[in-house]
Amino acid sequence: MTEDSTTTVAPAPVEVQKGWAGQSVKRREDKRLLQGEGVFVDDIKRHGMGYLHFVRSPYAHAHITRIDVSAAEAVDGVYGTLTGEEVAALTDPFFQISSAPGANIKDYSLALGKVRFVGEPVVAVVAETRELARDASELVEVDYEPLAAVVDARHAQDADAPVLHDDAEGNLMWTGLYSWGDLDAAFAEADRVIEIPELHFHRFNSTPLECDGALVEFNRGVEQWTIHTNNQFPGFAAIMMGPAMKVGLDKLRFVTQDIGGGFGNKITSHPQLVVCCLLARKLNRPIQWTEWRTDFHLSMSHGNERWFRDTKVAVKDDGTLLGFRTKALDDAGAWLRYEPLGGVIWAQVTPGMYRWRHIELDFTQVATNKAPVSPNRGYSRMQHLWFTERVIDIVAKELDLDPVEVRKKNYIRAEDMPYETPNGCVYDSGDYARMLDLALELIDYDAMAGRKAAAKEQGKLLGVGIGSTLDSGTNNFGQSRLINPELQFSGNNEVATVKLDIFGEIVVTLGTTPQGQGHETTAAQVVADILNCALEDVHVRAGHDSYWNSHAGFSGTYASQFAVTGLSAVKGATEMLRDEIFKLAGAVFGGVPAEALELADGGIRIKENPDAFLPFMACGAIINANNAGLPEDLDVTLNCRYVYRPPFEVPDVETKFGNLTLTYAAQLHVAVVEIDPETGYYEIVDYAAVDDCGKRINPQIVEGQVMGATAQAIGAVIHETYEYDEDGNLLTPNFYDYHVPHALDMPPLATGAIESPSPFTPLGTKGMGEGGGAGIHAVCAAIQDATGVVVTDSHNPYRRVWEMLR
Amino acid sequence: MLLREVEYAKPGSVAQALELLAANDGARALAGGQTLINVMKARAASPDMLVDLNGLAELRGIELAADGTLTIGAMTTYTELMRSAEAKARPILGEVCATIADVQVRNRGTIGGNVCANDPTNHLPPLMVAVGARMTIAGAAGEREVTAEEFFLGVYMTAVGQGELLTKIAIPAGKKDGFAAVTLGTEGTCICNAAATVNGSVRVALGCVDAVPVLVTADSPDGIAEAVRAAGIEPPSDVHASAEYRLHLAAVLATRAAQEAAAR
Amino acid sequence: MDVSVTVNGTTYARDVEPRKLLIHFLRDDLDLTGSHIGCDTGNCGACSVIVDGVLVKSCMLLAVQADGASIETVEGISENGELTPLQQSFNEHHALQCGYCTPGMLMSATALLRDNASPSDAEIKKALQGNICRCTGYWNIFEAVKAVAK
Repeated sequence: MTEDSTTTVAPAPVEVQKGWAGQSVKRREDKRLLQGEGVFVDDIKRHGMGYLHFVRSPYAHAHITRIDVSAAEAVDGVYGTLTGEEVAALTDPFFQISSAPGANIKDYSLALGKVRFVGEPVVAVVAETRELARDASELVEVDYEPLAAVVDARHAQDADAPVLHDDAEGNLMWTGLYSWGDLDAAFAEADRVIEIPELHFHRFNSTPLECDGALVEFNRGVEQWTIHTNNQFPGFAAIMMGPAMKVGLDKLRFVTQDIGGGFGNKITSHPQLVVCCLLARKLNRPIQWTEWRTDFHLSMSHGNERWFRDTKVAVKDDGTLLGFRTKALDDAGAWLRYEPLGGVIWAQVTPGMYRWRHIELDFTQVATNKAPVSPNRGYSRMQHLWFTERVIDIVAKELDLDPVEVRKKNYIRAEDMPYETPNGCVYDSGDYARMLDLALELIDYDAMAGRKAAAKEQGKLLGVGIGSTLDSGTNNFGQSRLINPELQFSGNNEVATVKLDIFGEIVVTLGTTPQGQGHETTAAQVVADILNCALEDVHVRAGHDSYWNSHAGFSGTYASQFAVTGLSAVKGATEMLRDEIFKLAGAVFGGVPAEALELADGGIRIKENPDAFLPFMACGAIINANNAGLPEDLDVTLNCRYVYRPPFEVPDVETKFGNLTLTYAAQLHVAVVEIDPETGYYEIVDYAAVDDCGKRINPQIVEGQVMGATAQAIGAVIHETYEYDEDGNLLTPNFYDYHVPHALDMPPLATGAIESPSPFTPLGTKGMGEGGGAGIHAVCAAIQDATGVVVTDSHNPYRRVWEMLR
Repeated sequence: MLLREVEYAKPGSVAQALELLAANDGARALAGGQTLINVMKARAASPDMLVDLNGLAELRGIELAADGTLTIGAMTTYTELMRSAEAKARPILGEVCATIADVQVRNRGTIGGNVCANDPTNHLPPLMVAVGARMTIAGAAGEREVTAEEFFLGVYMTAVGQGELLTKIAIPAGKKDGFAAVTLGTEGTCICNAAATVNGSVRVALGCVDAVPVLVTADSPDGIAEAVRAAGIEPPSDVHASAEYRLHLAAVLATRAAQEAAAR
Repeated sequence: MDVSVTVNGTTYARDVEPRKLLIHFLRDDLDLTGSHIGCDTGNCGACSVIVDGVLVKSCMLLAVQADGASIETVEGISENGELTPLQQSFNEHHALQCGYCTPGMLMSATALLRDNASPSDAEIKKALQGNICRCTGYWNIFEAVKAVAK
């Protein structure tokens, strides 16, 4: 961070902005958060609530031979306990997304008969205070019969490998062969075949500063649970929990307000939520569960660890990329909590940014005795795009070509857009070469040769690297059928309601569960534009509540989609409301047609006679409280609910062909690193990030996402890793050993943006926020450039760089 | 979070503190708490009683004697050391303290707590050894003084016995000191560190490579790397560094610290 | 044990277990939930408060140790519900996203600016080092603090 740490280079937008959309309106969420008045889940209290503490497994793999909770339950102030056997009696195993063999595993919300990773919840204890719950948990007696553990995915399928799930008859969870184009022809045409034996993408996640949690109440009279939580995808939690608990979804009310970061890591808390629900009913009192940092690191939502093996790349001598073959081996950890969706999500961005047409990827996912993986910012695409970017730089090195030129030669061109990829995804818009030029300009690429020489004189190694990602957003959930053809999911949706209340308040309700993305602000911008009113007149409700009926099956905040699904729903509902206001005013004015009316100044008026003005307050009052005498056929409620449904087809299961997401935002990052060759210590000394997410409703919020994702990438590539020893003990179970970058660790950053509006979305927007993986790719490339050694791992702490230089 | 039950005592004098510590086998002195409280959160340590030394004025303060010796009360915080005019007599003290953890930790954490914890990754144990500090330990039988080399006995173990307290640290005059470290991130936890002082010959104490600081000497900075390699050090391996990497760093950092010291 | 503390000008007297951390006391006993908990190890700084004028992490202090102290938390920063220039600057510079680290960040920045009204760039970064933010990458937080420094 230097004095001018942030340089924004924003070219003139493609279309002239009017109104609020496109402006960096200051966030409306901020005031409460700045005053300590946000409501995060651990802030919620209820009379008589009991605090829940989990007894967790100290073993990576063991049979449970005995559980005795009597000593814990005997403690004064302990309300009760829950064991796996009780869970199994009360619930069904969670529904499995996978086809066989993964489909056969039986996943309950507490360990049953066996533990499969260190930190797995075994027993839940509830007591009057947090401290007492933990004290009592130490009195729970659990006898274990330790088993050998499998920690390295590459050995999970060995003949003598310990098997996690007997029901699956081995550690293979899911496998699928993806093959598009004509591989044989591509390799025949190639001048060179570059072989890359093994690349490894490491395990980490985004460690939101707030860990998971819930406060769950059970209403005995109506047999309904209210789940105050920070789960970021209640739609998914409901689908998992309802069938397992054998109740209809109306019995599960999900409420969120402020969420302390999510990044995908707060999608799969459904097992813990089920435990809270069962205990709220069993003990007849509200149950409070707060996950502590060590619990989170041990057990929650690690990002997918992936190996790419036996990669072969078909290239021409001039750097033209024809295609590749690789085997992806994905480490799911002990349970499939969202997996094996990672086995298809990567295919949203199969060719990366490049025009190669012949691609074969043999995907295998295995279980290991480690924490279950779940979505993490950049979910599954990040791993694949790191691989493709590594391939580009390795090819450039092998062919002795400039990585810039290899990229430019092979980029999908602006004029090719919309571009259908080999597997049927349709990249909506973009200009990658222009983004690269802009990023190189921001970093002053022309000065690099001089800087490298200067660094060398100081005994340092300077390198520059490029990394790009595509942040594919708005999932077509039909892609789940490529994992399991039996699944009955497809498309996507999101809901918003916009109403005009009695005193003219414009009240907006979202289906989403924001965790810092500023939805209350950007939604208000969209509404105010359509209703041509002041921003202050729009009230966007904070948080999500499934009682509001403002949600659908895919509601939540995940997978880069709010700018498309959320805001399109807001747009649709607001346009419905606008049309109703026109109808109402037309009737009130005595049959004035809509085209003679206009919205202005917080109301509606006759264009030719502005004195004939009906303020929104009057509209709201008439419909809600003063409606006698209105025409019988006036179909107006001023309470409009709109479900946005993106245009998708179900992908072809046989050929694995189809458009898997609606938008494809792009990120292009360039990093400059300076390495101390004696120690391997290095710093990022310059950094540029260029983003293209189509039309930006609030550029400052977009830039904030770019910055945050960049910082996470920097942390991941240098420091952050969930590394296990051979017995399955996590070596980085807290922020002491899992170093998260702090203010002194941040390099100078220049940001830039271009806007290629999406032709497929109502507002020209694209989902964004998950593009930070570009930073991992860029730093890996920069290290390779500085050292001259091929980088084969996404995690490059100082020790690894030192080893590379030996 | 969520410590085990513990008793709390706030003595009014060092004598009272010593009585409390002597009377309770399970009692531990609570200094800044920036290590101990965290260990207690993990329930890795669960003393029966905490004897809070905060508020004991006799354990605070920095005095500069005519011969240049600094006497630093054990409960002096890092921030106080950084800001003290007297402590500038040995500049390395404030410089190193300024790189320990962060502002909040430096405001509470103490020099006595740092050395008594003797976590092998701490900054001050090697620095104390390098500068030739002398530690005063008080107990029922009165005070005794040990050298820093004698003070550090093992991981989390020092010469301070049950019922005793480290009360002050004396640091002789000197300016030609250096400190070098490779840390997790900028100014983070040490992966390997080296503190050096030059006074005729070169004296380097290495941290993170053994249970206690390893002292290595040489005639000049040029010879220190070889001395490190000849010292028979067998560093631990962990998630941050292999033994081999630590040993390599030890030689590099020892040289850098020695060069810095010599250049002053 | 009896503990009496003054938080943001209000005095509270409570009976507290010695083992209770100050952060749990503030949040659970006094319902001052503005200060947050983000780790187990004293690294994240979300619980930062000012005790008798000194910036500390309230997860590494027992509540009983604060007996008699005057404590400032995020809830006490604003006067009459209006944002202070520092808080406004955080809003202007988009220095918060989820807002979970923000209370601790504000306390660290407040302590810095009280001590040093004209900090250098390096001093600002060093003052924020003990507060982890996972959303912003710190750049905008730095800019927000810098903008109110003289």
